[in-house]
Amino acid sequence: MPEKVVAISTAGIPAKSPVVRGRVVRRKWAYHLLTFLMVFGPGLIVMEADNDAGAVSTYVQAGAQYGTRLLWLLLLLLPVTYFMQEMVVRLGIATGEGHAAMIYKRFGKWWGLFSLIDLELVNFLTLVTEFAAIALALSHLGISPNLGVPVAAAGLIVVVLTGSYLRWERTVVFLCLLDLAWLFIALRVRPSFSEIAHNTLLPGIPQGGVTASLVFLVVAIVGTTIAPWQLFFQQSCIADKRLRFADLKWARLDTLAGAVFTIVVAACMMIAGNAAKMHGVHFDDPAQMANALHLITGEGIRLGILLLMINAAVLGTTAISLSSAWAYGEVKGWPHSLQMPVRKAPGFYATYIAGVGLAAAIVLIPRAPLQLIILGVQVLAGIMLPAAIIFLQLLLNDQELLGEHYANKRWNNRVNWTIIIVLFILSLILAAQVVAPNLFPAS
Amino acid sequence: MHFLPAMMNVDRNEVPENHYVVVHPLYDLPEEKVDASKLGRIKMTRSVKLSLLALRAYLAVMTLLVVYHVIDLAGVLGRSSH
Repeated sequence: MPEKVVAISTAGIPAKSPVVRGRVVRRKWAYHLLTFLMVFGPGLIVMEADNDAGAVSTYVQAGAQYGTRLLWLLLLLLPVTYFMQEMVVRLGIATGEGHAAMIYKRFGKWWGLFSLIDLELVNFLTLVTEFAAIALALSHLGISPNLGVPVAAAGLIVVVLTGSYLRWERTVVFLCLLDLAWLFIALRVRPSFSEIAHNTLLPGIPQGGVTASLVFLVVAIVGTTIAPWQLFFQQSCIADKRLRFADLKWARLDTLAGAVFTIVVAACMMIAGNAAKMHGVHFDDPAQMANALHLITGEGIRLGILLLMINAAVLGTTAISLSSAWAYGEVKGWPHSLQMPVRKAPGFYATYIAGVGLAAAIVLIPRAPLQLIILGVQVLAGIMLPAAIIFLQLLLNDQELLGEHYANKRWNNRVNWTIIIVLFILSLILAAQVVAPNLFPAS
Repeated sequence: MHFLPAMMNVDRNEVPENHYVVVHPLYDLPEEKVDASKLGRIKMTRSVKLSLLALRAYLAVMTLLVVYHVIDLAGVLGRSSH
């Protein structure tokens, strides 16, 4: 029997009778299902948008070099990415504010600005790589990047300007679900299911042992699967969607579903790369792989991979741009919501448009130093990720902020500190490898 | 989601017994959340101080590595590892 609900206004005075837009249902299962469907969204988007252009490149490369021997790493990363984002869910629901705002308010101006500037820089450079991937895929489709990239940028801007969070979310969820086509591609290349099962469940070092190439790829896979912008994006998205305390369990389920979906898609990308390895196909990027596989699997797969590359880049661009716009708005104290029309949140939308527009423009510059930008992204993300996670861990132990119910339990902390220490070590290994390339034997 | 049943105005206090009201978060009444602005800075417990110290040390090491690599690439050290 639902309790009587009394709306409380901000002045603490009982407001009028609580009339809301809703739906009355008779069955409890219908209530739970509809509530989940309404809460569903931020978890899937934050996870699947992480399978962006850089991820496609990393995973197919891993498959091409080591076949299916690194699938166990993806399975290991599944609970890791869920734990990280689950903490973000709790923080977002409890505070109703974004991650940048929390760091600024609880750790002060210096750390707040450090986190913001680092996020904005890494995000912007990543946007450039996304548009570079769009340009690459379009050129292989016979479409001039000078036409296709501006059109893509315009589309990405229009999708957020509607003044409706729901309209943006539904569009992006649809794009996320399109990535199920990777499953079809993976099945089409006829992998060995017993080999996949074996390499997923039993960790092992590929033939050749621990080499510089393997270490670099492992660090790249970890860095691709857990990205700093995800912490900021999901918390801001939850705040913008105004998820309630009662929504926590559904938001966790949404995040878990997103994590599973993303890892399955990532595995399919690796299997596609493995197909290239099995057929002795060599490539420098996924677009070349698509062209080379065309002779083996047909035109449909080639088109599919190229279109999915574009989809991955579009997903990454909208999520990353929004994480920047939300974070900047939070710290500056500007109105920052997709529910607001442009005239009510001009700074927020201007930040988004500026990021997308500038990144697209840079890609169209002849001889733009894209390789340097890609390297810069890897280095900055490697610096930023441990910092972002440390703040997340400290905030989730902030009992003054969250109270006992929402703060981390002891087992949360044990797991999370283990993850943080491993990430620190991997970042230092990556940095050491760049400075001293002979640290590990060459492949 | 477009396939959800249509929404209507519902008074929560007039819902029949054994019925449930499903409300989208965006249409629901605002909840009272934790207000971090009133709390000020986080309490500097030992673990917070140690964590921030470790973070500063990590950032210092990484910055030095990046600077070293850039100087090395520029050939200022008189040799290049590439």
